[in-house]
Amino acid sequence: MKIIACYSNKGGVGKTAAAVNLAYSFAKGGARVLLCDLDPQGASGFYFRMKPSKKLLDEAFFKDVERFAKAIRGSDFDNLDILPANMTFRDFDVFLSRMKHSRQRLGKSLKAVRDDYDIVILDCPPNISTLAENVFEAADHIVVPVIPTTLSERTFEQLLDFIKDQGDGDKKKIIAFFSMVQKQKTLHAETMARMRETYPKRFISAEVPFSADVERMGTHRAPVASYAQSRPAAKAYDEVYRQLVDCMDGDEK
Amino acid sequence: MKKAVNDVIILEGMPETDDRIGKLATKLSERRDAVPFALLDCHDESIQKSGQILIEAGQMLILHRRDETLTQPARREANFVADLADGPVKRALNGTSPLRSLLVVGSGTLSHSQIALIDDEGKTHARADLSHLRPAGEGRDVTLASLHGLRGYDKALASLADHLRGAEAQGSHLLGDLVGMLFPKHEPYDPKPETIIAPDQGAYDAANDIIRVYLSVARQNEAGIIADHDSEFLHDYRVALRKIRSVISLFRGVYEVEQTEKLKARFSELMAPTGRLRDLDVYLLGRDTYYDLLPETLHGGLALMFDIFKRERRQEHRKIARLLESPHYRAGMAELENLFPPGSGPARGLDADHPALDYACGLIWKRYRKVCKIAAAIDDETPDEEVHELRINCKKLRYLMELFAPLFPRGEMKAILTPLKELQENLGLFNDYSVQQGSLQYFLSHHPSKGERDERVMATSIGALIALLHQRQMQERARVVSSFAHFDSPAIRRQFLTLFRGKGA
Repeated sequence: MKIIACYSNKGGVGKTAAAVNLAYSFAKGGARVLLCDLDPQGASGFYFRMKPSKKLLDEAFFKDVERFAKAIRGSDFDNLDILPANMTFRDFDVFLSRMKHSRQRLGKSLKAVRDDYDIVILDCPPNISTLAENVFEAADHIVVPVIPTTLSERTFEQLLDFIKDQGDGDKKKIIAFFSMVQKQKTLHAETMARMRETYPKRFISAEVPFSADVERMGTHRAPVASYAQSRPAAKAYDEVYRQLVDCMDGDEK
Repeated sequence: MKKAVNDVIILEGMPETDDRIGKLATKLSERRDAVPFALLDCHDESIQKSGQILIEAGQMLILHRRDETLTQPARREANFVADLADGPVKRALNGTSPLRSLLVVGSGTLSHSQIALIDDEGKTHARADLSHLRPAGEGRDVTLASLHGLRGYDKALASLADHLRGAEAQGSHLLGDLVGMLFPKHEPYDPKPETIIAPDQGAYDAANDIIRVYLSVARQNEAGIIADHDSEFLHDYRVALRKIRSVISLFRGVYEVEQTEKLKARFSELMAPTGRLRDLDVYLLGRDTYYDLLPETLHGGLALMFDIFKRERRQEHRKIARLLESPHYRAGMAELENLFPPGSGPARGLDADHPALDYACGLIWKRYRKVCKIAAAIDDETPDEEVHELRINCKKLRYLMELFAPLFPRGEMKAILTPLKELQENLGLFNDYSVQQGSLQYFLSHHPSKGERDERVMATSIGALIALLHQRQMQERARVVSSFAHFDSPAIRRQFLTLFRGKGA
């Protein structure tokens, strides 16, 4: 089982879209996938027409692995299950920080479903907190969407610093890609060129364009490739998926 | 493709659906166009008997099993499982006999649809793929509903299953019922049907029952031999006739002496013309083994020999097909069937009324004693004829035990049959190697000549083969004493004593 976290310390960068569409691509590719919606604002579950679960409450959730497994719901797509967001996840960081050894909780919970899934994708909330530490520790790879703007450049640097500060942080886990790219904007093009030069090993070459097709996920409530397979956005996510798989394979070797 | 299924429900006709099931709405998706389908199985129905349904529909091959549905492209070179394109269906059918070809059990048209239970957010909670089979003949329409549960929605899955089953007046059917529903005229086939013998039933009735059943087995193979689907039709045909002949010759005194002789001759006469065709089948099936025995430099000669076998087989098959289709043969078989009508049989012998159990024990015990007596005299110096004698008596003992098996506890019979089979395996190989040497020698001096060079190439290969077979025969011969010792254990002796001793005449 491989754990992939979709993470960004900045909001609105297309993180949830990445989590949803990557999960769909992995499932289509034949892997058994669990998408965990840890971000109540992102609402991965919403895109799969899932109602938030009332059953998942408080800190016992991550302690009680049985409840964790019971909360999982099958999506409408083969091989793709979802752990829907819990309304109290917003308080989640607080709970986690109160718990001793909180950093290992998430990893232990995920072990409960180890045999059921090949890939677990975590859609994480956009802040650097206990949960984030938890995620960084549990994840094998951290996928980071980056909008090519000056502000993003700064937050990306902060993220790398944060990882470096973690005792056992490993920045090789970070696989970044440019998101919501508008090629006609000079700023975007320049930022991308500069960041690729500064972090040559962190960025894959795939880019996801700014696209109405992605925005329409909210009305279709389904992954892009399920309703606009031949459109550029769907193809871009597929390319991110392929390059991510290549990175993972490269890691194995 | 491999798709997990929670359950397969077999329904008559097309299920009725309500708009809602509980709080959930039902959504019935459009049926795709109907395609022609054929239900496939081997003649021995091994695919069905292992709880699977194999359907060829359009360009796809679909295998339904209890917990998954497998699909792959249907294209294939020929009709054996080995000829299928590589894919999940072929892999799943791995256990099917490589000697059996896939045949069409029946055909019709197939259409697909899907029923889903959906909540007010448009989220699916449970699904069933419906394969609607409409047979071409007089059978009933059937729907195969493959249920797919989604994790965390167990209740919805249960209510969908209940709903589908509820549409069925008599409750749901089993996978095994499918063929009967679709193709009521299809005749089921079992190469080893179980006969029922009551302990106090007369030996005469028991013999008649066995013969009647195996006459029918033989006849069920005739069409397949003529069509030449695979080699197993002829094999089963011959096994059935041989069983009948052994009943006639081993069940002494059941029929009148003259009648017994006549029947024995009649069944030998039926088997005789098929002997050569079976031999050729065995050669051709064992082709790879022969190739493995010899180094590549000698393969040329084998290729020439197998070409000749192939040609001869074609001729032999034509001959047998003509024979089986002849009015003379058909009349003869009908006459035999008339000789064994239900509840009756040919002229009775002195032992006709002997109760079956007592009679069986007597025959088996006597034959067992004979086997032991011959075996006791065999050592490494004994001439081969004695070993052949042992083989023939073991074979008779095995036939008797198998024919009367319904009279004895299954487990206890198996416990002695297994070591007996092992002994027979050894004796059988010893015999096969000797027969093969003989027939290769015969082939060398009698085969149709095809020029001097081929002659030499073939003679070299066959010569090498004979030498190897001789070596193998010697190896088997050396094992005979120890394999009998293995069979002749104190436990087996006790078993024979308790099961068969003192009961018979």
